Amino acid sequence: MSNPNFDYYARAKRELDHDHGHEHGHDEHAPLNEHDSGPPSDHEIMSRAMQELLEEKGMITAEQVRRRMELFDEEFPYRGSRVIARAWSDPAFKQRLLADGRAACAEMGIALESERLIAVENTPDVHNIIVCTLCSCYPRALLGMPPTWYKSRNYRSRVVFEPRAVLREFGTALPDHVTVRVHDSNADMRYVVIPMRPEGTEGWSEEQLAAILTRDTLVGATVPRVGA
Amino acid sequence: MSERSPGRGPQDIGGETAGAIDTTDHGMRFWERQANAFRSTVQANGITCTDELRRAAEELGEEYAKLQYFEITTRAMRTVLLEKGLITEAELKAKMAEIRARFDVPDEMESPVKKKTG
Amino acid sequence: MAGGAQGRWAFQSSYTPAPGHHFEVGDRVVVKRAYPPGHRRTPYYIRGKQGVIERICGAFPNPEELAYGFSGEPVKTLYRVRFSQKHVWPRYAGPAQDVIEMEIFEHWLEPAPREATPVGGAARA
Repeated sequence: MSNPNFDYYARAKRELDHDHGHEHGHDEHAPLNEHDSGPPSDHEIMSRAMQELLEEKGMITAEQVRRRMELFDEEFPYRGSRVIARAWSDPAFKQRLLADGRAACAEMGIALESERLIAVENTPDVHNIIVCTLCSCYPRALLGMPPTWYKSRNYRSRVVFEPRAVLREFGTALPDHVTVRVHDSNADMRYVVIPMRPEGTEGWSEEQLAAILTRDTLVGATVPRVGA
Repeated sequence: MSERSPGRGPQDIGGETAGAIDTTDHGMRFWERQANAFRSTVQANGITCTDELRRAAEELGEEYAKLQYFEITTRAMRTVLLEKGLITEAELKAKMAEIRARFDVPDEMESPVKKKTG
Repeated sequence: MAGGAQGRWAFQSSYTPAPGHHFEVGDRVVVKRAYPPGHRRTPYYIRGKQGVIERICGAFPNPEELAYGFSGEPVKTLYRVRFSQKHVWPRYAGPAQDVIEMEIFEHWLEPAPREATPVGGAARA
């Protein structure tokens, strides 16, 4: 089961709204089970070397890289939940989102760069789940970077042919009358799931709604929970 | 290539039997976030495109299955930059040696940044 | 309007296909049973399978050419195609109405033979 303590987007948002106790002095971007120190790996050194070479050759600048890091860390991860929270709050907006994802995001001042976005809606009869079997395509400008499980071989291989078993591994059990729709994001489209809005959220502000829309729910691995 | 079916690259794994999924998100290390930003910048500047990087990753063949995600993307970037003549093998080797000698890279988790000596 | 058999899942795309595009929403298609080497975005597991056009995604440069530094033009029409899971995986353990959907470029698609295409996902009012 995806632990919200390690979903640092959900955690960051919860900490904005509530006074939850959490591990103090620990970087929110650092899950507890990662080591802080150790010599850099060859691949890390290789990546830095290529970056510095291209900077020296004037093809990129350090500032550009820094700015992209900032966008990925501080901007992109928070957009998707805002968009879906609006879709929950505004049925007409939801229809526009379903018809043309990118245009709907643009309405909210969110420019998705090159991505064509397809929103797929969960209903009492249909559950959607997203994968990119061939690599790890993901609407990064909407959701930030994908969770490590999304990029894993086991997820990419199995969710296409046994989605219900995979969903159970995430703690999501679906009765047989619910159709499971798997989307393999293999070309130019990118996908986001509009989960079903849970009971107990009546009258919630968009900010409150966004707080329960974690990345896992927007990919379809889990469903949003009230009082998580 | 390896013993995969003809026309089936190492990335084309949909439908293969595999084990349990580690459903915990392990986050990204600092160097991985920076590598991702580097890739994003390189694409934004028109130096290469997603498709070239994907193809270069697929050309890793048997190694593909043995590497982690950001190791694959790093190797793909290397392939593309060499192919385009934007860097040379010699330059890359020299720069890597220089960085190793410096050995003052930030902590993996950037919390806080520590400098290693020696 | 095409796609009546799809019920409420038929989707009229707002994106423009390439000129002279071959397929419309609701058309039954089969993915080419071909295994060329090189960079392909049509997954191995879907080759030779039959499905139905769910929407037209628009027209895009061919990734198979972009991957090698070419322009990928002229652009090709990209479709979303829906497949029945039980048809794609002979040992699929889930219910018969489960589906899988993905994007397939026009040059990987042919019209399906005349007999019924297994689609899954019963049409809903």
